[in-house]
Amino acid sequence: MNEESPQYRVAHVRRALAEDPRTAEMGVRVNVRGEHLHLSGEVATEQRRDELEQVIVELLPDVEVHNDVRVADTREPARLEELR
Amino acid sequence: MIRIAAVGDVHLGEDARGRLRPALDHLADHADVLLLAGDLTRHGTVEEAHVVADEFAELPVPVVAVLGNHDHHSDQADDVTKVLEDHGIRVLEGEGVTLEIGGRRVGVAGVKGFGGGFAGKCASNFGEPEMKAFVGHTIEIAERLRSALESLDTDLRIALTHYSPIPETLRGEPPEIYPFLGCYQLGEVIDDCGVDLALHGHAHFGCEQGVTPGGTRVRNVAQPVIRSAFATYGLES
Repeated sequence: MNEESPQYRVAHVRRALAEDPRTAEMGVRVNVRGEHLHLSGEVATEQRRDELEQVIVELLPDVEVHNDVRVADTREPARLEELR
Repeated sequence: MIRIAAVGDVHLGEDARGRLRPALDHLADHADVLLLAGDLTRHGTVEEAHVVADEFAELPVPVVAVLGNHDHHSDQADDVTKVLEDHGIRVLEGEGVTLEIGGRRVGVAGVKGFGGGFAGKCASNFGEPEMKAFVGHTIEIAERLRSALESLDTDLRIALTHYSPIPETLRGEPPEIYPFLGCYQLGEVIDDCGVDLALHGHAHFGCEQGVTPGGTRVRNVAQPVIRSAFATYGLES
């Protein structure tokens, strides 16, 4: 069997992140660069950012995960946009 | 000026309980109404709905919401709606609500919306039953939005959806997935009915500002886009 191509690997990871109930995340970008996997986007909590890695490590134990996902900024807005 | 606060895609669950509350405690300083643009929960469970209800409970301004696709994931949308309504959050799906704000009548019409794509690059109500069911859902919801908007006799009208009515606020998302992020039918109804502001969520990598073909301002208030607890807009009435 051939080595999994990066395109299929991205598809499998994105599907796992969306469909695994531990993550249920559709708003995370996945980039594969060889054996390195880069995540970006935003989730609601630090715990959810960590859960992304847990799901991926189970699926792909040999890749190195670079988790650049940020946690949502929940501060008050600094401006009001006036629509005239 | 009527001040509208709005946010979508907060995806609350037990692990996120209380995260928005510090900002919400000052909501009255910013806004006269709070609109929630769907994906309030992570998996659409009743337990998560209670977290949402607690988070937005006892606020000094009216709270009006639509549900999103995540809120439907556990097939408990009716129960989720009931929990929210029991805690004073008005949940719209094909209905309009009229609010009295500063002596003016502000109408909000809400639907979840659905995908299908945008004019010239969209799915058609043709072929396999699965395809017709998909596009049929899109058409049905757009017509529910039309009925809701037409029911409003107000000084200002706001359309609140989860899915996007235009492609412009999706910029930043891969164009290949636009048909899963919104549909032109929502935009067409908004333009037909005359709306002062259209708000949606769903597109985490999209951008905030856009305009319908008919000239209605559209804002994508998905929390990863607005990068705050809520966004605020001032509308002249």
